[in-house]
Amino acid sequence: MKVDESTVKHLADLSDFRLNSDEAKRLGGDLENIIKYISQLDELDTSDVEPTYQVFEMENVWRNDEILPQDANCEDLLNLTVETIDNQIKVPKVL
Amino acid sequence: MKYIPTIGIECHVQLCTKTKLFSEVDNDARGKEPNSCVSPVDYALPGMLPRLNGEAIRLAILAGRAMNCEINNNSRFDRKHYFYPDSPKGYQITQYYAPIIGSGYVELPSGTRIKIEHAHLEGDAGKLTHFDSYSLVDLNRVDTPLIEIVSMPDIHSAKDAHDYCKELWRLMRYAGVTYGDLYNGNMRFDVNTSVAPEDSKKLGTRTEVKNLNSFRSVERAVEYEIARQTKLLEAGEKVIQETRGWSDATGKTTGQRSKEEAKDYRYMPEPDLPPIHLTEEFVEAESSKLPMMPADYRTKFGGIIANDTMEVLLDYPELMFKLNEIDEKNVKSISNLFASVLLAEEKSAEYLNDLPSAKQLNDLAQMNEKKELSSTAAKEVFLRLFDPQMRGKDTRSIAKELGLIQENDLDALGAIVDTVLAKPETKKAQDDFRAGEEKVIGFLVGQVMKESHGKANPSAVQEILRKKLA
Amino acid sequence: MKIADKKTTATELVKTALKKAKEYADYNIFTFIDEDGALKRAAEIDAAIARGEKVGKLAGVPYALKDNFLSPRGETTASAHILQGFKSPITATAVAKLEAEGAIMIGRTNLDAFAHGSSTENSYFGPTHNAVDFERVAGGSSGGSAVAVALDIVEFATGTDTGGSIRQPASFNGVYGLKPTYGCISRYGVVAMASSTDCIGFFSKTPEDMDLLMSIASGQDPKDMTTLPDYYSEAPRGSLSKLRIGVIKEFDNESVDADIRKALKEKCETLKKKGYEIVELEMPALKYALAAYYIIVPAEVASNLSRYDGVRYGFRSKESENLNDLYLNTRSEGFMPENKRRIMIGNFVLSSGFYDAYFLKAAKARTLIVQEYEKAFLKCDFILTPVSPNPAFKLGEKVNDPVAMYLEDLMSVSLNLAGVPGLAIPAGKTNSGLPVGLQLVGPRRSDKKLIEFSKELI
Repeated sequence: MKVDESTVKHLADLSDFRLNSDEAKRLGGDLENIIKYISQLDELDTSDVEPTYQVFEMENVWRNDEILPQDANCEDLLNLTVETIDNQIKVPKVL
Repeated sequence: MKYIPTIGIECHVQLCTKTKLFSEVDNDARGKEPNSCVSPVDYALPGMLPRLNGEAIRLAILAGRAMNCEINNNSRFDRKHYFYPDSPKGYQITQYYAPIIGSGYVELPSGTRIKIEHAHLEGDAGKLTHFDSYSLVDLNRVDTPLIEIVSMPDIHSAKDAHDYCKELWRLMRYAGVTYGDLYNGNMRFDVNTSVAPEDSKKLGTRTEVKNLNSFRSVERAVEYEIARQTKLLEAGEKVIQETRGWSDATGKTTGQRSKEEAKDYRYMPEPDLPPIHLTEEFVEAESSKLPMMPADYRTKFGGIIANDTMEVLLDYPELMFKLNEIDEKNVKSISNLFASVLLAEEKSAEYLNDLPSAKQLNDLAQMNEKKELSSTAAKEVFLRLFDPQMRGKDTRSIAKELGLIQENDLDALGAIVDTVLAKPETKKAQDDFRAGEEKVIGFLVGQVMKESHGKANPSAVQEILRKKLA
Repeated sequence: MKIADKKTTATELVKTALKKAKEYADYNIFTFIDEDGALKRAAEIDAAIARGEKVGKLAGVPYALKDNFLSPRGETTASAHILQGFKSPITATAVAKLEAEGAIMIGRTNLDAFAHGSSTENSYFGPTHNAVDFERVAGGSSGGSAVAVALDIVEFATGTDTGGSIRQPASFNGVYGLKPTYGCISRYGVVAMASSTDCIGFFSKTPEDMDLLMSIASGQDPKDMTTLPDYYSEAPRGSLSKLRIGVIKEFDNESVDADIRKALKEKCETLKKKGYEIVELEMPALKYALAAYYIIVPAEVASNLSRYDGVRYGFRSKESENLNDLYLNTRSEGFMPENKRRIMIGNFVLSSGFYDAYFLKAAKARTLIVQEYEKAFLKCDFILTPVSPNPAFKLGEKVNDPVAMYLEDLMSVSLNLAGVPGLAIPAGKTNSGLPVGLQLVGPRRSDKKLIEFSKELI
């Protein structure tokens, strides 16, 4: 698969990256090589094979509906952000 | 040419669990400070993993069964990716590939069935408030458990769209899975509308109106869209597939800036949560906790409660549950009191949370039936039953305390009638009655009522008078 | 460890560790050294011992923490710019368990940013140098931890292994490194790379130490729903005699360094002499492990790294006039090139139109790999293979060729896809004096027996 400029742009958009043209060019080449490598799975016959998403034997792992103290409280958490107003996280305006 | 509208609705229902879907913090942020119900998981600190709330699974089973849906034995969670501050993880945990609730249907009061495609569990998003130069982020609502119910494009009028949403609201509250507070966004509707010529085999291009939170706005938005789209098609123009916003104030939908390409959410199986495998036994055991549904009440009380009253009362599951508790012979009178007295009260919402006991209501109905209480007195006693100070008190003692019990003892009444008839001022009326002047019986009954301080049962009094004057 | 059998104090041990850490500063092992905190903890432990109180199994033992474990001591950066300034209010479960037994963290170790890499060259703080050859890479991603143990600065170090990130640096530096069974140790509080393959593990100098660490750190955690019920310490030891050891035919070829192949053959001879049977295995599905790995892992990486946006913690780009800029600038400035490659590949394999051909296909290939191991363990008890095709390579040698770098993971990633444990053991040196490591692979939950058996290979 050819990774052209528009593909790099599309993937950068999905990733929320802004790439300058040098970076886009370099990444485009890298991605093309990587995609070429991973495309070798094409030769593997996987008809009638079920997918595996997890290698963990258990099912139905859930907890009780009970309020419990947390490892960090809301104040600890909000202290981590750059700026808050009235207990809310401040971000630049949404266009 | 005639145009047929086709409508499909997605409904988000917030579940009334104590804790959030993926962590053990309070799920009820009503009246609380912003960002005060937020766990490190909600805040999406690095290294935090979702901790699934089992109650959400149980409520999903009830919700599914309330809509006559299959419960899938195998389901799992997926991640839906998008960047926005209301989604701290950068993805929403939802069920895309294998939802917990399969197909089913909702039957409207008119008897029309609307098919459910599927329904799934997912976490809600946070809230942003926008100001001129900045926005503020509140994460209290992040990962409040939701069930998203997806209907088939099976609805063909604004009225049915309204009725479908309302019936869903009823079903979810009967099933006890949500508080159903529409004002607070406990249920929100996304409505897809298209129109196509009557003879067309293909559906028309649809628009989506998102985040409607009342049945009335669903109905109005659909009406508006049908009219707008029909007009476009009649004029030979095209409907653009887009998301449109609804304004209650203007009664119009307006196109929202649509992105060039459809969003690519890159769904991926959630690797942090093991899959759900529900056995038939588990599903049956949980489903058996589902109470009677509106359709069941329509069948059960159809001959007893008038249709109009029924549809009013069905909005209040608490009342229907109570009617189901009392003796069937009393359902008619109590349902009337519910509909005409209770719901007319200013404090009715408050009252609904704490209804009188079945025994209190049964006693009330019987006292009314046996004329121990006049219908006016019955209404008065009925309202007193909601008084917190009357909790636990017997209906009869309340009525007595209020002095509202009618005298039905025929001997005692006979004695009072005799006293009245012995009075000289009733002499003329007695004569007139005997002479065939039927009307004066009212005067005599009034005199007896006065003598009894209003406690006599007027119809019994009349009967005795007629005998004595015969 | 030491403190139990040596006449020393926690303070002495910690002082020595801190002194060595400073001596080896030019190896760029640590992203943070907690001198005051470590000495304070040591003093507390010494005081407790002086009072005759019972102390933990690791009382006073200095250790190094890979910088992707959350702890309020110092910033947790995962060696990534985008986490600069992040002081965690939370302690990872594994860290809490170690510290409850009295272990003392003297510093946080360098890694490839977000553990993306096989050389620790992708760190925002620059590369860590190999313990044996300063011109060569430490391996990765847990390079700092491996070198800290190999240079005897600390008794043990934590690591994470998503595709070889413990075993490969262990083998590049000549120490033991264990990737346990998936689900054995809680991932709670560890910066996620790829959730379905991430494993928490350790670097140690002996199998005995490894066993002790596992008995402490393993176990079910309600904060990680993918942890197995406690099994490690309860696992039946079983007899070690008559074990059959498999070697993988496909890994015995010219593309593998001659000295590494030689080391493997020598170890097989040793085992044969001790009476163990050597079984040759054909595992053709493993050929596809690397391709499947570099689809599944980037997909999970892209997803797990979506949360780094500058909104709630860590680095936020200053030059942002609007929200869209904030996201774009923070993520563009905050991630290393390798992070970007993996995120973009992940978004590619998950994107509409490519999901079935790549992600789903890889998930199916994963099934075949899981089955390949299941079949293999019908024929043998453990498998002995190289950890990587080559010993430590030169700094800068592969840094501009991502595929060449990925190929270094050829022999390690299949274990992560299958969820089985692997223990890297020191197995001598190459002609030029570089450490050679081999890995012992066992079926799921065989961790304890695997460690026990590794003593036969000393």
